[in-house]
Amino acid sequence: MKHTLDVLAVGLGILLAATPVAAQHSFSATYDFDRQVKLEGPVTRIDWVNPHAFFFINVRDAGGTITNWAVEFGNPFDLEKDGWKRNTLHIGDVVGVEGIPARGPARQAFAKSVVLKPGGKRLFAAPARRASTPAAAPAPRWPNGHVRLGPPPGKKGYWGAASVKALVENTAVKIPMNDDGLLLNIADADKVAPFKPWAKAVYEQRQRSLLKDDPFARCLPPGGPRQFHTPYGFQFVEQPELGRILVLLGGGDRNWRVIYTDGRPVGQAAELVLSYYGTSVGRWEGDTLVVESVGFNERFWMTNGGLPHTEALHLTERFSRPDFNTLKYEVTVDDPRTYTRPWSGGWAIKWVPDEEIQEYFCEDNAESTFIR
Amino acid sequence: MRRRAFHLACFWACLGVVVSGLAQEGHPLTGTWTGDWGPTATQRDHLTFVMNWDGEKITGTINPGLDSIPIASVFLDVTNWTVRIEADTKDQSGKPLHIAAEGRVDDIGSYHRTITGTWRQGATNGDFKVTRD
Repeated sequence: MKHTLDVLAVGLGILLAATPVAAQHSFSATYDFDRQVKLEGPVTRIDWVNPHAFFFINVRDAGGTITNWAVEFGNPFDLEKDGWKRNTLHIGDVVGVEGIPARGPARQAFAKSVVLKPGGKRLFAAPARRASTPAAAPAPRWPNGHVRLGPPPGKKGYWGAASVKALVENTAVKIPMNDDGLLLNIADADKVAPFKPWAKAVYEQRQRSLLKDDPFARCLPPGGPRQFHTPYGFQFVEQPELGRILVLLGGGDRNWRVIYTDGRPVGQAAELVLSYYGTSVGRWEGDTLVVESVGFNERFWMTNGGLPHTEALHLTERFSRPDFNTLKYEVTVDDPRTYTRPWSGGWAIKWVPDEEIQEYFCEDNAESTFIR
Repeated sequence: MRRRAFHLACFWACLGVVVSGLAQEGHPLTGTWTGDWGPTATQRDHLTFVMNWDGEKITGTINPGLDSIPIASVFLDVTNWTVRIEADTKDQSGKPLHIAAEGRVDDIGSYHRTITGTWRQGATNGDFKVTRD
């Protein structure tokens, strides 16, 4: 029950937050959405660093004691897209902050609002945006008739937000969870995937600990289906003359993945080096690119929410583009060491027209992240 | 020569850091575990487990090398993260020696999770602690 309440509070908190929440760490594990904090004081330092921008302020309490607080206020990438700059704020500026304090004793908060004093100018708030819908159009095609997964010649664009927050089995009823993949009700774990007992126990342990040990939060690559869930999108670069398709990831530290389409067998050389993205071989079945991947290491969580896997993981992914603006992603997970049977899930991904993937790196903002 | 030795030392040190930082997010027992066991705080023997989950059972070896001991059985109770390990070897005189260890896996989410518990080797009782590398 407490877990459910925590998660509900997290969801509400994220909705209330003025700054877009797209950074890599688990907000659920870092901040206590059951509490609020109000702070005021002069800025002593600004860390404009991915994945979390911080400023620090000296706060004087009723007894006159001054303590230094770290205030997280978003992700530099999103802030800059919203028109804010590092020099929006200056050392010595006095600000008022309303926010959500960190769990535990850390003097750290996530800002819901930042107001410059005097004057009351609100800083780092997202501007009101009108949702733009790209014009409907059929999927672009290559001269040989294959669907193009990237932009047509002379155009820009990439694949952006996924329609769901985490991978779950297709047969499952809708399972309420937050943006981190944290279940609103831990009893729903059985509906997520056909776990073996150890895997269910590990998944529940990750959920109960609010995903605090997520390797992605430590800037490790998002292997498996999770690569299509990260913020900042991805792109396909098709190179038929080289017999391969590159997947360029915007949110996974600009990682890339190679899908070989030259007819080589599945898993060739996969046993040599186990990796975050595995070894992938693709083929076209009509308008669907079918990709089989093996050779994964065990150093990542393959989806938001913490589904486990082993080196035996075999993924079969199916990519199709029913229209210009939609990518349909379906994946079958076959890992007999972790799950009792193969299972499938998937989601849709929207096209972001007329833009390129922006440069984004998850930097180790150690001093801010490990405030005591 | 000294410079070369220094560079070599740096290389191995860096490799050590990299290797020790590798995560293992699969089955919680898979991997290499090191530590010690002994009947008292001062009488300790080095201990290394290598364990692997094949989808049906956990297999492994104690102290891989010339004196390695194959693990006969491992049972993990995921409801409380307790583990029981049994193995059979021979003592220095060639007599059969049974090993039975019972412990608890702590800090499951950490790269460097631990198992602590009791260790019985023949007639000797002690405790053990191993940390996943």
